[in-house]
Amino acid sequence: MRPPWVVRSALPAALGLLVVATIIALGAGEMRLGPSRIIAGLLGRDDLAATILWKIRLPRVAVAVLVGAALGASGLVMQAYFRNSLASPGLLGVSSGGAAGAVVAIGAGWASSSILVIPAAAIMGAFIATGAVVVLARRGASTERLLLAGVALNAMLGGVTSYVLSNFTISYERNAQIMFWLLGGLEDRSWEHVAIASAVIPCAALLWPLGRPMDLLSLGAPEAQSLGIDVRRLRLSLIVLSTVMTALATAVAGTVGFVGLVIPHVLRLLVGPEHKRLVPLSLVGGAVFVLLCDLLGRAAGGLRLGVVTALVGGPYFLWLLRRQA
Amino acid sequence: MVTASPGVNALEIANVSVPGRLHAIDLRLRPGSLVGLIGPNGSGKSTLLQVAAGLLPAGKGSLSWQGRDFRGIGFAERGRMTAWVPQEARFDFGFTVRSVIGQGRYAHGDDGHGVEEALGRLDLRSLALRPVNQLSGGERHRVLIARALATEAPLQLWDEPLAALDVRHALEVLVLADELKRAGSTLLLSLHDLRLAHCLDSVAVLHQGRLRSFGPPADVLTPDLLREVFGVRARTAPGLFLELS
Repeated sequence: MRPPWVVRSALPAALGLLVVATIIALGAGEMRLGPSRIIAGLLGRDDLAATILWKIRLPRVAVAVLVGAALGASGLVMQAYFRNSLASPGLLGVSSGGAAGAVVAIGAGWASSSILVIPAAAIMGAFIATGAVVVLARRGASTERLLLAGVALNAMLGGVTSYVLSNFTISYERNAQIMFWLLGGLEDRSWEHVAIASAVIPCAALLWPLGRPMDLLSLGAPEAQSLGIDVRRLRLSLIVLSTVMTALATAVAGTVGFVGLVIPHVLRLLVGPEHKRLVPLSLVGGAVFVLLCDLLGRAAGGLRLGVVTALVGGPYFLWLLRRQA
Repeated sequence: MVTASPGVNALEIANVSVPGRLHAIDLRLRPGSLVGLIGPNGSGKSTLLQVAAGLLPAGKGSLSWQGRDFRGIGFAERGRMTAWVPQEARFDFGFTVRSVIGQGRYAHGDDGHGVEEALGRLDLRSLALRPVNQLSGGERHRVLIARALATEAPLQLWDEPLAALDVRHALEVLVLADELKRAGSTLLLSLHDLRLAHCLDSVAVLHQGRLRSFGPPADVLTPDLLREVFGVRARTAPGLFLELS
């Protein structure tokens, strides 16, 4: 079994990693900043550092943290909901739903009217995808059924996106915006994006106390109900929270895959299946993972975030499938 | 253990129908009774147990526990009043045996009360830290029975608790059920082994979704009924008898 000290020190360790990754992410770039200059810049005592930090790096880091937390937690929730450790927003098509919603909004030209249009469209698209998965896969679905439902949805929603790309008369700028959603990235994120993504925080707060009932739900809905849980209400809260968080992440960073699959999985191996621990850990762990992937992409000369998470998470997923078989 | 006030039925199912599975079932169980639910495959035993546990809607009929209408009971209180053991023991995540049994205390604010006793009672102490998804089928069933025991619910509904167990553990579970009954609990368990049904106070026989008969096993399990419901001929003959040593 897992040594108790690993279980106990996991959250402090993850928070420590988050702090370190944040400092590195703030310091790294074309102009390197040491810890003392970061502090000087944040406090406004160093004009150049202040401009770089407040205008460019801080919003990017904040978006990365919020997106990672949202996707990590969404994955955890979907795995408990579907009683399947291979469920995740990317594989089930919920991310694609969010992206398709955003792309339609951009393609139709609605996006310029308000900054809230894209998140709203992403949330709508994500809910359509979630609804479809819930109907197709049902609770306690087998891995095959769940993944096939995801494959079908991803293909359908990809079709919607391609249709928008090919059939709308689109300016070059809109086309570039659409490419952004398809690849997923954190380039040029502003405080507006941080503001949109910060809706993840209340979602996380609502999710926090649901860890214990999620334990019972992950072992079966009727069982959980017989043990004293209002299963219908719990499932509704879980699916709404995870969908909204995925959609928010997609609205500000495009489709970023595999975070929701890899993070809960690695954490479960480390600390076991208890959700009371996994909920905070997935939030923090997802944030660390996305920050590190973004750093890796930047270090590799501007690889987009979605590309890096896919290159890291894809092999992990294949390894998991092999191990399960 | 909570005991119901005398005179009130521990479980009352009235005119319950589930389309295609149960037809107008009426069943009343007194507190402190140990009742077997028998019937051929597909006769509706699991469905009836789920209706009794409040997990399936009672349709036009009604369900009450300890004289209280089920619909008026809050979710957490339902968890304290009734325990249900599913027929299929499937675990998708590797919770430890002890933590799964601890889930029986969820409706009591996770106070952990009685978890160690339940572990010991179902012979699971040596497996306490093992992940449930690595256990054998019979061990998983014992975990589920231990979890039901930990709830300390006065109404226990067990769906084929013995089918997956080896003979010694099966007999121990029967002894446990008898002790719970003596302490005032009410137990309804579905069974396939008709020979075991003779150890119970009464049996309810389901046939094609209808309650065919209900009463003491000696009165109910007549050769005629066995032939009609199960299509078998009953004969008493010397055989192998197994008892706890």
